[in-house]
Amino acid sequence: MMKMKTPFAAGLAALATLAIAVGCAGTDVGDSGKADYTKMSSKELAEHLIFDQNGFRLDTPTQEGTTVRERQTQDEMQKICTETRNQPSPQQAGQIISDARASITYPDGGIQLGDWRKGRELAWSGFGFRVGHNNDDHSNREVGGNCYNCHAMATDRQGGNLGPSLTGYGKSRGNNEATRRFVYEIIYNAHAYFPCTNMPRMGANGLLSQQAIADIMAYVLDPASPVNK
Amino acid sequence: MIKKALLALPVALILGSTAYADSSKAPEEVLEGLINSVDSMYLTQSEQNLMMMADNPALWIAEDGKALFHAVRGPNNVSMAACDFGKGPGVLEGAYVEMPRYFADTGKVMDLETRIVHCMTSVQGFASDDPAVRARHNNESEHMQIQTYIASHSNGMPWAPRMDHPMEKALRDAGEEMFFRRAGSLDMSCQTCHSESGKRIRASVLPNANVPQEWTKAISWPAFRVGHQNVRSTQHRVRGCYWQMRQGQVVAGSDASIALISYWTDVARGQPAILPDMKR
Repeated sequence: MMKMKTPFAAGLAALATLAIAVGCAGTDVGDSGKADYTKMSSKELAEHLIFDQNGFRLDTPTQEGTTVRERQTQDEMQKICTETRNQPSPQQAGQIISDARASITYPDGGIQLGDWRKGRELAWSGFGFRVGHNNDDHSNREVGGNCYNCHAMATDRQGGNLGPSLTGYGKSRGNNEATRRFVYEIIYNAHAYFPCTNMPRMGANGLLSQQAIADIMAYVLDPASPVNK
Repeated sequence: MIKKALLALPVALILGSTAYADSSKAPEEVLEGLINSVDSMYLTQSEQNLMMMADNPALWIAEDGKALFHAVRGPNNVSMAACDFGKGPGVLEGAYVEMPRYFADTGKVMDLETRIVHCMTSVQGFASDDPAVRARHNNESEHMQIQTYIASHSNGMPWAPRMDHPMEKALRDAGEEMFFRRAGSLDMSCQTCHSESGKRIRASVLPNANVPQEWTKAISWPAFRVGHQNVRSTQHRVRGCYWQMRQGQVVAGSDASIALISYWTDVARGQPAILPDMKR
C-alpha cells in the first residue's frame, strides 16, 4: 500500500483542493445508489460501506503521496491477519514471513547505531501520517516512531504496555551484529519473525527512514542510553 | 471515596437529581456499581474523575440541551418533541440505549446523532449546512447539548440496540468486520487496542471489548472529556480512533460509521449506560 509512491503530485494537489471543497459540504450521506445490504455477506457489506457508500473520505491525500483509498485498501498480510483474527495457518504464516523478509532493505555499509539522543526524541514522538480532521504536515516536523505508545523504555517516562518492555534491552542483549540485525528487522518489518504481530511495519511501510531507525536503535541498544541505565 | 458518594446519595435525592432517566442512580453511581462488580484497571484509572463526576460539566450541557429540545425552533417552528427517536414522538426515556435502530420513515439504520440531524432538517426544517446542524464537536454545539440531554434519559439502562429488522443485523455484522479490519499505515484495527484488559497506550488504560463492564463505559457517550474540556460524542470517538490508527477520516453519519457503532453497542448489550459520562 505505502509502496505506491505515485508521481501524480500535481493531480493530487488538485484532488486535495477538491476533497477540501467537497469534504466540508456536509457530513451526512445521501441515499444514492443503495444496494440491498441484507443480500451481502458481512464482509462484502463492510467493504461496500467503506468504499462504495462514502464511509471514508477516500480522496483525501496522504503524506506518502497516495490517497485514503490506498490506506483503507488491505494488502495480503492485513487481509490474512484480519480473516484469521491474527492466528494465521502455518502455511499463511510462512507466506507472511517470507513476504516480510523480502520487504526489508538494509543500509549500505551494515547496520550501525545512530545517535541515541535523537532516537530518544523520535521514540517518544507520535507525530506523523495522521490524516482527516487534522493533517500532520511533515514539512514542519520530523515523523516520530510512536514507540512510547506501546513500549516501556527508559523509566523516566511512562510508556505503554501493548508491546513488550524494552527497559534495559541493550544491557541484557548487548550491542553486537546479531542483535543489531534483529532489532533493525523487527523495527523494519516484525512480521519476518512474528506473523500477524501488532507491531507496525515502520520500515516496510515507509514510516521511518533508515537514519531514523538507526537513531531509535541507538536509544534501545547504546550502553550510554537511559534505556540501559 | 465510594462510601462518601453513597452517603451523599440521600442528599442528592432530596435536592432533586439532575439525571433524567427513570433511574434512581446518578451516572457516578452506575459507574460505582460496575466498579464493584469487576476488577478493572480501566474503570478505576482516574480517581479524580470519579470524584468530579457528581459535578460533571456535561450535566449542565444537558440542561442547555433541555431548553433547546423543548424550544420551538427552525423554519417550521416546531420543537423536537415532534421527533420520533424510536419510541414515539417526544419519547426519550430509554430511546438512546436502543440505538442504532432502523427507522421506517428514512429506511435507514440511524444512531442518535444521525437521528437528531434528521429531526432538525426534516421536522424543524433547518438547512443541512445551518450551524445548528453542522457544529457537533464541543460544549457550545447546540447539537451536542441536545444529544447530551436526550442520551441522559437512558442513564443506568441496559444497552439494548434493536436487532429486529434485517438491516440492523446486517450493519451490526458489517461493523464487527470493521472492528477487526486491519488497515492503514500502522496495520491497526480496533481490536489491536481493545482485546485485553490492563493494556495501556502510554499511561492511559484501554477498555477491553471482551469485558462488558469495561465496554459499557467505553461506549458511554456523550461524555465530558477532561483532557479536551469539551463534551464529546460517539462519532467524535470513532473519528479520533481512525485518525490515531492512521486510517482515513470516517464520514460521520455514514452507514460505515453506523455499522461500527451498532457492533460496539451490541458488545455492551445488557450493561448499564453511564450518561453522561466523564472521561480522561
